[in-house]
Amino acid sequence: MKSIQVRINGDLYEREVRESKTLLHFLREDVGLTGTKEGCGAGECGACTIFMNGQTVNSCLVLAVEADGAELQTIEGEAGPNGELSPVQEAFARHHAVQCGFCTPGMVMTVRDLLQRNPRPTREQIIHGIESNFCRCTGYQQIVEAVLDVTGQLSDTEQEGLKYV
Amino acid sequence: MLHDFSYAAPTAREELFSTLARHGKTAEVLSGGTDLLVNIRAGISTPLHVVDLKGVAELAELGFDATEGLSIGACVTVTRLLDDASVRKNYPLLIRAASELATHQLRNRATIVGNIVTASPCGDMSSPLLCYGADVEMASAAGTRRLPLQEFITGVKQTVIQPGEIVQRIIVPTTFCGGTGNYLKLKRIKGHDLGVVAVAMLRYGKKIRVAIGSAAPTPVLLPEFPSDATAETIKEAARAAISPIDDVRCTREYRSFMVEEFIDRLLKEVRA
Ligand SMILES: Cc1cc2nc3c(=O)[nH]c(=O)nc-3n(C[C@@H](O)[C@@H](O)[C@H](O)COP(=O)(O)OP(=O)(O)OC[C@H]3O[C@@H](n4cnc5c(N)ncnc54)[C@H](O)[C@@H]3O)c2cc1C
Ligand code: FES
Ligand code: FES
Repeated sequence: MKSIQVRINGDLYEREVRESKTLLHFLREDVGLTGTKEGCGAGECGACTIFMNGQTVNSCLVLAVEADGAELQTIEGEAGPNGELSPVQEAFARHHAVQCGFCTPGMVMTVRDLLQRNPRPTREQIIHGIESNFCRCTGYQQIVEAVLDVTGQLSDTEQEGLKYV
Repeated sequence: MLHDFSYAAPTAREELFSTLARHGKTAEVLSGGTDLLVNIRAGISTPLHVVDLKGVAELAELGFDATEGLSIGACVTVTRLLDDASVRKNYPLLIRAASELATHQLRNRATIVGNIVTASPCGDMSSPLLCYGADVEMASAAGTRRLPLQEFITGVKQTVIQPGEIVQRIIVPTTFCGGTGNYLKLKRIKGHDLGVVAVAMLRYGKKIRVAIGSAAPTPVLLPEFPSDATAETIKEAARAAISPIDDVRCTREYRSFMVEEFIDRLLKEVRA
């Protein structure tokens, strides 16, 4: 066991952790933050995406001990202090970009990171930007629309159509 | 759950090398972890000790100078290489290949050196580094040694590296700076995928250099060609050098076909 200190969504945590524990399992099992999901456990699906020192990482491929001293952000830190949804979350809800919801925490982290690097991505750039995250429900279309909407790029007709879905 | 191992992240080189020497074959070096942790999880790798390189600050150095060339330290991530202005200016093939490697999240962790040490035939960084004539510099408690990349990789996932030894950096000479070319990677899908086959081509003055991935046990560098070589000459050399196989990702025939197709496309590009 090793003692580590990490800041997660602004709060400092100090814990003893097994050297072989992944950061994903540390978050879910030791800290109790179960928003971050485990899909493949091997870097393929992106469900475990979190921010570590400002960059997105697959938390299934990081050891908890490697995060000693790091600053982390997870889906639990996405909404405001009173539970108000972030603009990305809002758009996801409005566009039904969430079905079973399993991919959503990782997808929201990835989208936020994409928008930080590229505030107005084209449809192509959005599709490329979320290639790291699998969604088995939506077929991605709604996710792409949510991102177009949150960046103010949906046409009036497309906005109009939303009233009926 | 991963099997249990000890973890050390030495901050000084001497300490790193003595730790590695002490543990010998029972230790695995950890850099970005994008191969190692997958292998540990799958039971392919079963180290008793994991030794993290990221504590040693100098191993994270990335620098370019006009005499030595580009020095890529062990802990330089793919993302850092992609963001580096001198690499963008002088080594465009490295940028092309790095942007094809895995996903953004993985590139934030995966290192260039780790990609070479893994020595997978489909590793994206090998072919462009071969085109640029890169060397690999290893270090251990006993000292350092330096080899051309084509001598460093000896087989499928095999290199000359010994227990106790690390690759401390890759050195890319300035010889071909200013050359033009591209890296074409065939994948099964548009999204991220390991390469089914890949070809790197670099034109520099009166020379053309070609390297091929996923078509033999190791990435292959073809003998240098004059810039007016015909496509057929290059294809003939490629046919003699590769030994593609059938596997889960594609057939031998398709691999051979696409190598030649990529040679045609790249030749057009470098002559445009
Ligand atoms: C889902 C997924 C998709 C991927 N897609 C691609 C792809 O498209 N193209 C591609 O090329 N690769 C791909 N990869 C593999 C790629 O991420 C790795 O090859 C990466 O570059 C390895 O670097 P690392 O720092 O993560 O290595 P690590 O996992 O830390 O180490 C890899 C191996 O090398 C050893 N090692 C690492 N650094 C050193 C050193 N300096 N000295 C001595 N030994 C060392 C380790 O002990 C270990 O055995 C993919 C991986 C995953 C999980
Ligand atoms: S659980 Fe980490 S990428 Fe799938
Ligand atoms: S909503 Fe179910 S996997 Fe994306």
